[in-house]
Amino acid sequence: MIFKKILFHTHFRELALNSLKTIMELKKVGLESIILTHIIPRDEVSFVPYGGYLKETEIQMKTEARMRFEDWQKIIAEHGIKSRIRIEVGAPNAEILSIAEEEGVDLIVIGRKKRTLMEKVYVGSHIMDILRRSTVPVLMSKFMVQFEWNNEQLTRTNDHIFNRPMLATDWSQPSENAMQSMSALKELAKTILVVHVIDAKLSKGMDRDRLSSIEKESKSRLQNYCRTIEQFGMSAEHHLSAGKTVQELVRLSRDHKASMIVMGKTGKDWFQEYWLGGVSHQIAELSELPVLLIP
Amino acid sequence: MRFPKIMAVIFFLSCVLLWSAPVPAGSHAPETTGAGHTAGSPDNPAAANSTETSAHGSGHANLGEILPLWSCIPFACMLLSIALMPLLLPNFWHHHFGKVSAFWAAALGIPFLWIFKGGALYEILHIILVDYVPFIILLWSLYTVSGGILLRGSLRGTPVVNTIILIIGVILASWMGTTGAAMLLIRPFLRANNYRKNRTFMVVFFIFLVANVGGSLTPLGDPPLFLGYLHGVTFFWTFKIMPHMLMVSVLLLIIYFFLDTYHYRKEGASVPKEEAKEPLKIEGTYNFLFLGGVVGAVLMSGMVDLGEINILGIHRAIQDWLRDGILVLLGIASLIATPIKLREDNEFTWFPIIEVASLFIGIFVTMIPCLLILKAGAHGDLAFLINMVEKPYHYFWITGTLSSFLDNAPTYLTFFNTALGSFYSGLTEAQAVPLLMTENAIYLKAISTGAVFFGACSYIGNAPNFMVRSIAEESGTPMPSFFGYILKYSMIFLIPTFAIVSLIFF
Repeated sequence: MIFKKILFHTHFRELALNSLKTIMELKKVGLESIILTHIIPRDEVSFVPYGGYLKETEIQMKTEARMRFEDWQKIIAEHGIKSRIRIEVGAPNAEILSIAEEEGVDLIVIGRKKRTLMEKVYVGSHIMDILRRSTVPVLMSKFMVQFEWNNEQLTRTNDHIFNRPMLATDWSQPSENAMQSMSALKELAKTILVVHVIDAKLSKGMDRDRLSSIEKESKSRLQNYCRTIEQFGMSAEHHLSAGKTVQELVRLSRDHKASMIVMGKTGKDWFQEYWLGGVSHQIAELSELPVLLIP
Repeated sequence: MRFPKIMAVIFFLSCVLLWSAPVPAGSHAPETTGAGHTAGSPDNPAAANSTETSAHGSGHANLGEILPLWSCIPFACMLLSIALMPLLLPNFWHHHFGKVSAFWAAALGIPFLWIFKGGALYEILHIILVDYVPFIILLWSLYTVSGGILLRGSLRGTPVVNTIILIIGVILASWMGTTGAAMLLIRPFLRANNYRKNRTFMVVFFIFLVANVGGSLTPLGDPPLFLGYLHGVTFFWTFKIMPHMLMVSVLLLIIYFFLDTYHYRKEGASVPKEEAKEPLKIEGTYNFLFLGGVVGAVLMSGMVDLGEINILGIHRAIQDWLRDGILVLLGIASLIATPIKLREDNEFTWFPIIEVASLFIGIFVTMIPCLLILKAGAHGDLAFLINMVEKPYHYFWITGTLSSFLDNAPTYLTFFNTALGSFYSGLTEAQAVPLLMTENAIYLKAISTGAVFFGACSYIGNAPNFMVRSIAEESGTPMPSFFGYILKYSMIFLIPTFAIVSLIFF
């Protein structure tokens, strides 16, 4: 897998350009072009109550977006990467997926967007909505994040995100796919961390022998993952943990200084994803690190 | 910053004015039974359940006799905001219409509650529970269900094909609502005609026929008729205005066909052959079942009598609550059954329905004094209006003219109450409405047709008008300005057609 063509979607929030710069590191591993995408939500310009369509506002918003992108294009060109601009009006998630398919991109990069409760009820998580329907990997970029750890407010800057990716596996096929995708980062990643968490719900009430057997099996599988990654010409280290999966994954990422989290798309049905949230959903929302989700 | 200051001054004046109103001795919440719609056979007003009496009945008609005319100022301001702000401050309006609506509702509601206490609380709760909630639930369910139906395929917009689309729209509008029919057909209609140069008149006639006139046959068709249904007009009574509807539709369709043929020939338009043909196909057809469910639920609520229930002091028929519950369930079922992709391809968004819900809470609350005064008939401050509108054609033209520039739903309710106050002052709504439907049916026909037909006269006459305009402009079809629409189209095509209807029927 090579990330040759990337769709980078932005709302032009602060530090969006910095996020873009971190992605340009992929040039070393074959990145050729970036589709700079901005979707103006339809509701911003249409259905003015008893009015109509704010054509002038649309033109103004498109012009502003184009000017910003053109400025970014100069920086992209300096890195020897081609770029194109796509500015559309529509439903953001649907448009992103449609453009990704039309352009045949290998990776979709989206920023984190806080949703209102109503939006969560109707659409679910922004990234999960895109990932659930995307046929290509999705990276949720987070350049600067404030988070709480040990009752302290911390700020983290994610600038070299491909340095030390942490691959979280649940042994599913999407996890296998995620492992295979690590080969795309060969020249960038110093070490791949491979982790697995034996979920507390699974181990609860389990006898010691059974638990020990699962632990042994898990370690063996982790070693196999590491061997495969080493065959890509990269170094890997594995870590096994037990407890509440989401919290443990976040802890492991902090303890072992991961630069991003890579996960396979969870196999939950849409109802669970929407209303309860899968592991990948929660990690994408909770972790201070960028999260790469592989379908 | 100037605008909020003006709003604050208006708010202050409103409080001062209402404070100066005389307080009635018995301004507590009256113990009257809820209005709901009249139970009994939907076709037989005589079978109406006589035990149901109106909340606006004799129990507290005194409030309408006491309230001064200027207590209608917030209502007038609310409607003027809808009429003027999209023109004068479109960006502000687009982002703050909810606040404007809340402001006018508060400008009436706070002093009204302060002065009339229990009586005012009763009136506000009554209009919310009996009118607003079922109104919004019906619109929401129709919008949600029809938003799950997608018409795909490559139609080519020749005069014949376009006329057929308009006829289908007119037929559908009475059963899936003008909003539902307009949203279902406008995008295929625009796609079919994307090779044509002059598309503006097509969209205007689409607004005339599908977004307005077509919705006149059932209470599902157009919001004013549903409000009439909620106030006791039976479901199939509206079929009595079929001759009026057919006359307007046929005249407009004939005009449209000749106009389209003229432009088609003038443009030298020919159907592009190089485009890949996609067969016509309707997706999400199971939503027609849900649509059938909506019709059934509304019909059911007019046919059965399950008794009443008291919620927050408001008596309302159990079958009305049941209908609302079924409509919500049908909407949810449609949301679950319809893939998100299909709704996205339909460019479905919640924004229009949120807009309608936000604006109509302001409309319904601010119109309370106006309705009460009208119901007081000759004893209220609007006696001059009641005395002024005497003949059926008065009702037709005045309801119509106001519906052109104000939303047609509150206008309908205003003149519906004017007729009740004029003919049956002192009777309860449940007693008066069956009489209005039979003894003075011509007046109700004039109000109904006036409200529905004239809603087409401007972009602000009826909610789907602005949605169609918005979609057309987004797709690159130039649309006339607010006044351009009225002068170039409504005055030329609609008003003469309505004059013929007026001469023949009223």
